[in-house]
Amino acid sequence: MNRRLALKQLAMAAGGLALIPSCDFSEENILAAYDELQITESQQQLLQKLVDTIIPKTDLKGAVELGVHDFVLVMANDCMSDGEQKQFLTGLKGFDDYTKKSSGTRFTKMDNVEAEKTVNAILEGKPTSDDEMATHYFLQTTKKYTIQGYMNSEYVMTELMPFQLVPGPEFNGKKEIVPGEKVNING
Amino acid sequence: MANLNIKSKQENTYGAIVIGSGMSGGFAAKELCDKGVKTLVLERGRSVIHNKDYPTTNMMPWEFEHRGQMPEDIQRENPVVSRCYAFREDAAHFFVKDQEHPYIQEKPFDWIRGYQTGGKSLLWARQVQRWSDHDFEGPARDGFAVDWPIRYKDLAPWYSYVEKFVGVAGFHDGIPHLPDGEFLPGIELTAAEEYFKSVVEQKYPGRNVISGRCAHITGNAAYYAKQGRGICQHRTICQRGCPFGGYFSSNSASLPWAQRTGNLTLKNNAVVHSIIYDDAQQKATGVRVIDANTKEVTEYFAPIIFVNASALNTNLILLNSTSKRFPNGLGNDNGLMGKYVAFHNYRGGVSGEYDGLKAFTTEGKRPTSGYMPRFRNVDKQETNFLRGYAAGIHGSRSKDVNYSGTGADLVKNMMNPSYGPWRIGSHMMGETIPKESNYVALDTDKKDDWGMPQLKVNVDYDQNDLDMIQDYRDQLAEMFDEAGFKNIRTWDDERRPGLDIHEMGGVRMGHDPKTSLLNKHHQLHACPNVYVTDGACMTSTSTQNPSLTYMVFAARAVDHAMKNQG
Ligand SMILES: Cc1cc2nc3c(=O)[nH]c(=O)nc-3n(C[C@H](O)[C@H](O)[C@H](O)COP(=O)(O)OP(=O)(O)OC[C@H]3O[C@@H](n4cnc5c(N)ncnc54)[C@H](O)[C@@H]3O)c2cc1C
Repeated sequence: MNRRLALKQLAMAAGGLALIPSCDFSEENILAAYDELQITESQQQLLQKLVDTIIPKTDLKGAVELGVHDFVLVMANDCMSDGEQKQFLTGLKGFDDYTKKSSGTRFTKMDNVEAEKTVNAILEGKPTSDDEMATHYFLQTTKKYTIQGYMNSEYVMTELMPFQLVPGPEFNGKKEIVPGEKVNING
Repeated sequence: MANLNIKSKQENTYGAIVIGSGMSGGFAAKELCDKGVKTLVLERGRSVIHNKDYPTTNMMPWEFEHRGQMPEDIQRENPVVSRCYAFREDAAHFFVKDQEHPYIQEKPFDWIRGYQTGGKSLLWARQVQRWSDHDFEGPARDGFAVDWPIRYKDLAPWYSYVEKFVGVAGFHDGIPHLPDGEFLPGIELTAAEEYFKSVVEQKYPGRNVISGRCAHITGNAAYYAKQGRGICQHRTICQRGCPFGGYFSSNSASLPWAQRTGNLTLKNNAVVHSIIYDDAQQKATGVRVIDANTKEVTEYFAPIIFVNASALNTNLILLNSTSKRFPNGLGNDNGLMGKYVAFHNYRGGVSGEYDGLKAFTTEGKRPTSGYMPRFRNVDKQETNFLRGYAAGIHGSRSKDVNYSGTGADLVKNMMNPSYGPWRIGSHMMGETIPKESNYVALDTDKKDDWGMPQLKVNVDYDQNDLDMIQDYRDQLAEMFDEAGFKNIRTWDDERRPGLDIHEMGGVRMGHDPKTSLLNKHHQLHACPNVYVTDGACMTSTSTQNPSLTYMVFAARAVDHAMKNQG
C-alpha cells in the first residue's frame, strides 16, 4: 500500500515520472514510479515511441499526448503477475535488438512508417522462439493497454464517445436504430 | 465505587440493542426507533455517512488509476475477496480484506463481508424477489431440514410494508410462486429478453421471464423525498454509494430515518463480543463490546436484543455467548447452533447470441436484468434432485469495435464501431439443502485481534447441487436453442461455496426447541428476549435473493417484541 501511495504521489509531483538519484553516472536512472519494473529512461522512451506508433496523432489527439504511455507502465507495474511482468520486460528490454536483428534497424531509429510496419509484422506473426514469444507478448499487452488507456481517457470519453455519469431514468429496451447513426460504445 | 457503577449502568442502558447496522439491523433499528424505543445500534466497522463517505461516487472512469482493475499485489494478498465480482477499484474500500479478519476454512469457503455502517447493503445488487409458500413449505413437503414455523400469509403484509419503504421497481406478473408486491414502475426488458420471454412462455407452460424486481425508486418521488431520497438515475455504479439515494441502503434510508426520530444511538468501532445472560433473571441483559481501536471493554444493557450481524457473524456471537446456563452458546441447548448452514449455488452459466432483431438496440442503462423464477419441482417433484433454481437473464446488443492493426487505420476503426449481434447470458441461482454436516464452529485456540474465537467454516456442495447445475445447463441451453440462439455455451465455474454472498442458517427457525433454535417470532426458544432476524434464522434457502426477506423478518419481529415485551 505504501508503495502504491508513493507511486501516486511521485506521479503527481513529477507528472508521471520520478527519478531515483543515482551516484554512478555511468548507470542509467531507474524510474522510481514503476518500482516493480525497474525500467530505465531510455526504455521508457522506447515504450513511448511504441505507444505513439500504435495510436499516433491524426486529426484526433494521439495516445502520447494523452499520457497513455504512463498508463501502460502503471498497468504493467501494478496489474501484471510476476510471470507476465517478466515476459513484458524481456520483450521491452530486447525490443531494439530484436528489431535490429529482424529488419536491420533499431526500433528507436525507425521512422513512423517503418515502425508501424515492423510492429504489425510482429503482431501478425506466429512466435516460435522464447525471444519471439516475449516480444510478441510485450507488443500485445502494450497494444491492449494503449487501447484501454486511450479509449478510457477523458478526451475520448467526453469529446469523441461521450460517457454519462448520470444517464437519467429513461431506459429504452427496444430502440430503433437510425441507419448511419454514429455508434457510441459509451452510450 | 458502587454508585459509579450504577450510574454507568444507567448511562449504558437502552430500550433495545441492535447488533449490526447492515441490511437487517438497519431495518430493525428503524422499526424500533419509529415505535419510540431508545435504540443502541452497535457496529463493528467504521462510520459511513450517506453522501459524506462515498469517496468514489462521482469519479469518472478515467479517474481510476487502473480503470477499475484491482492491482496484482492486492489480489495476491486477498484471494477470497478478490473473487467477488464487485471487488473493484471503485468499491474495494467497502469490503473486508482477507488479512484483517481471518477465519478458518476447514473446507474452501469464500466469505464476503462488509464491516462498516450499512454493512453489505452498500454493495448489494438490489434484487428483491418475494418468497412464496412453495419456499416455506419446501422442507415439510420434500423432507429436508425442518418445517418452517411461518407461512407466506404471515409475511405478506410485512413484505408490503417493507417494500413501500424500500422502494421496489417491478411489474405485476401474476406468478403464483413469485408473489407480486408493492411495485413502483417496472424497468422494461430489452428486445432480446422480450423475445426470449415470448418463446419460453409459449413453448414451456409454467415458465416465465420477467424483469427482476429491484430496490430502486422509479416513482412516487414525493413519498421518498421524505426519506431524503430521489429517483434512481440509472448510473449503475450503485456499489460506490448513491448520491441520490436512488437505491435502498441502510445508509441512505433506514438509518437516517431512525436518526430523525431522536431515538437512535449508533456506535461505530463497537465489536460485540457476546451477549450477557443473567442466571438469576433468566434472560439476556445486555452485550459485551470491545472497542475496535482501544480494545477497551464496555457493557451495554437493554431488555430486548436484536442480533443482525449477518448470518455467520450472528452464529459466531451467539456461540461465543457462554454462561453457566448456556455453556455451548446462548440458547444452544440442543447443540444444533452453527449447523444446517446453507447457501446459494451460482456456479452455472449459459451464453449465446441472437441474429434477429437487427433493427433494435437499447438506450440508457438499467439497474436490473431479466429473471426466470424457479420452474423445477414447483408443484411436484419431477427431477432427480430436490428443489430448484432461478436464473438471471440478460440480453444486450453488442457493439463491435475493430481493434486490428495499428496507426491511423486503428484510430479510424476504433472510432467507427458497429452493432454486433444481441448477446444473451444467464446465471444460475440455485437452492442448496441445509445439512447437519454443513456447519460453522468456534476455534478453541485461534482468536482474532479483538479476542473473539475465529470462525471455522465447514460448508460444501453435494450431489444434489451438482445434479442441479447440470440440469440448469441442459434446460437453459435447450430453451436458448429453442429460441434460435447461436453459439450457445454452458459452463460450471466451480466457484467455492459462499461466493454467491447468500450464506444462511445455523440458528434456524422451527416449531420444536429440540430441532431448532428460534420460534416463529425469531426469539431464541431458550432466551426469548433475544431476536435473530438476519440470514442465520433461515430454515431453508429458496432460490430468491434473501435480503428483502431479512428486512421483513426484522419488521415483523420488532412488532412482536413491542406487543409482547414493551
Ligand atoms: C456484491 C453483492 C451483491 C449482492 N446482491 C444481492 C442481491 O441482489 N439481493 C439480495 O437480496 N442480497 C444481495 N447481497 C447480499 C446482501 O448484501 C446481504 O444479504 C445483506 O446485506 C445481509 O444483511 P445483514 O444485515 O444480515 O448483513 P450485513 O448487511 O452484512 O450487515 C451486518 C453488519 O454487522 C456488523 N457486524 C458483524 N459482526 C459484528 C460484531 N461482532 N459486532 C458488531 N457489529 C458486527 C458488520 O460490520 C455489518 O455492518 C449481495 C451482497 C454483495 C456483497
